[in-house]
Amino acid sequence: MMQFAVRQAGRFALGLFGAAVVTSMISAVSMPHAHGLAPFLEAAGARLLAFAQLDFGKSAISGLKVTDELALRLPATLALVLAGSGAALIVGAPLGLLFGAGPIRRAAAPLMQILAALPVFCAGLALAYGAVHLLHWPVSVNLPVAASAPVFSGDLRTLQMAAMPVLTVGLAGAAAVQLALRRAASQSAAEDYRSGLKRMGLSAFEIEWVYAVPQVIAGLLASLGEIMRALLAAAVVAEWVFHRPGAADLFVKSVALADWNMAALILFVFAGLAFLADFGGRIGAYALVNEGKP
Amino acid sequence: MRTSSQAAPMLRTILHVVGWSGLGLIALAVVLSDFLAHAPAGAANALHMLEAPSSAYPFGTDLLGRDMLSESLHGLSVTLRHALLAALIAIALGGLSGAVAARLPHGAGFMLRGAMGVFAAIPVLLLTILAIGLTARLYAPLAAGLAAAPFAFVRAFDRVDRQSRSTHAQYARATGISVAMLLRRDLTYEFRDTLAPVAARALAAVTIILSTVSFLGFGTTPPARDLGLMIGAAKAYYLQAWWTAAFPALVLLVLILCARLAAGLDEGERP
Repeated sequence: MMQFAVRQAGRFALGLFGAAVVTSMISAVSMPHAHGLAPFLEAAGARLLAFAQLDFGKSAISGLKVTDELALRLPATLALVLAGSGAALIVGAPLGLLFGAGPIRRAAAPLMQILAALPVFCAGLALAYGAVHLLHWPVSVNLPVAASAPVFSGDLRTLQMAAMPVLTVGLAGAAAVQLALRRAASQSAAEDYRSGLKRMGLSAFEIEWVYAVPQVIAGLLASLGEIMRALLAAAVVAEWVFHRPGAADLFVKSVALADWNMAALILFVFAGLAFLADFGGRIGAYALVNEGKP
Repeated sequence: MRTSSQAAPMLRTILHVVGWSGLGLIALAVVLSDFLAHAPAGAANALHMLEAPSSAYPFGTDLLGRDMLSESLHGLSVTLRHALLAALIAIALGGLSGAVAARLPHGAGFMLRGAMGVFAAIPVLLLTILAIGLTARLYAPLAAGLAAAPFAFVRAFDRVDRQSRSTHAQYARATGISVAMLLRRDLTYEFRDTLAPVAARALAAVTIILSTVSFLGFGTTPPARDLGLMIGAAKAYYLQAWWTAAFPALVLLVLILCARLAAGLDEGERP
């Protein structure tokens, strides 16, 4: 276990270093006199050293430190991703387990294919339309000012406004969750150990609970990085569609306005979140499947 | 009597055929779009603004009175042309390079795999937006292809690396077949067996990416409009005029669905 954890930690650290190199190059674009290969590489090196000292520069638009500005926006995105991952589990887990194999999967396959082919922004717009015309809920799609209401709130109207962006992110994550679970469940169903355990006298429930369930959960954990990437990409679209002022929305605006320091930092944070989910998921999956083995 | 295990491959084959036939019909519609469309691209008509679907305008009209059926056909044409270019770039720089890199000696391939892994960890949408921001909206197909390439690289690298560890590859090496010969043989098999599904998969992926960046305002530059830009433009009033967004979205959905089916993707699988 320790050897595996150290190897994964090394992989995580290398990934973060790679992301830092990439983002320092993006940040170097904003530096004056960084034209030509040698000056650009020099500027990128200088930015990388500054990153190491936690100096991520200032925003070209607001003049504030990019870390301060991101600190204001990131919680909204993290809340959206967190709530979206909850929705993804609620929607995706039953779907994945139900469609693991057999006739239900074949019957539902065409519908699932259609849903999977729907781009996230189309799903967001469709949800907003349904919320307005079927549920008569308020939506923030075409509000003149950004909807800065928090995702987690006790106020009903605020909750209704937050429901559709959360569901948009959740549906994107649900596709990844159900696929990971379905693959793990199919793999577990085909394992040879089942017949051996049956011969040893274990009931079907015991085999499922003690052996198959950890294997399926491990399959989900191993795909955590992939799920996180799906959630983050969906957050970019959801914040844009529903006019919510989060870090993902800030990334789009920063690129549009050539605020490269800001865009670089957000990209680094998003890549870091994906690497962290990947690292944690792999460790969790390994521990779950190999715990107790010599 | 057909068993379930026999029925599954048959269903898969049927879905493949449906996917490729759909892509063929879409290609035909794009080639004939100037004949099929009732109006040229961008033809406004102030007398018929925001008209609901009718026999005269089966897909309705938008805020400028443009016929949505004609606009959807022209939009599909732009989307498909851009997506084909982006898919070609993703396959060449991603799939092909990944397959070759997996055969590079002395760990060079694994270093490349690590570098590409960093880019593959970043959502493709964000990379595309960044690449467009660093260049110009004109280069959106190039940016989408470049952004999708790391993901295709990693996938092809891992597949070929698995092949190179297989028993047949070990036998081949043991009998003295050179690395270059083995690479040529693997590339031949790789392309013969996987080119069509890889191309369809790349097409589905870059179509989603390109339409999303256009929706966000980073893609096609007006007056040319792709489906993503059409839906983005309709966002301001689609809650009152659903057809302005629904029909371009439906056309986009059909294109992506056909590409997914042609690629043989699992339900929910990321292209």
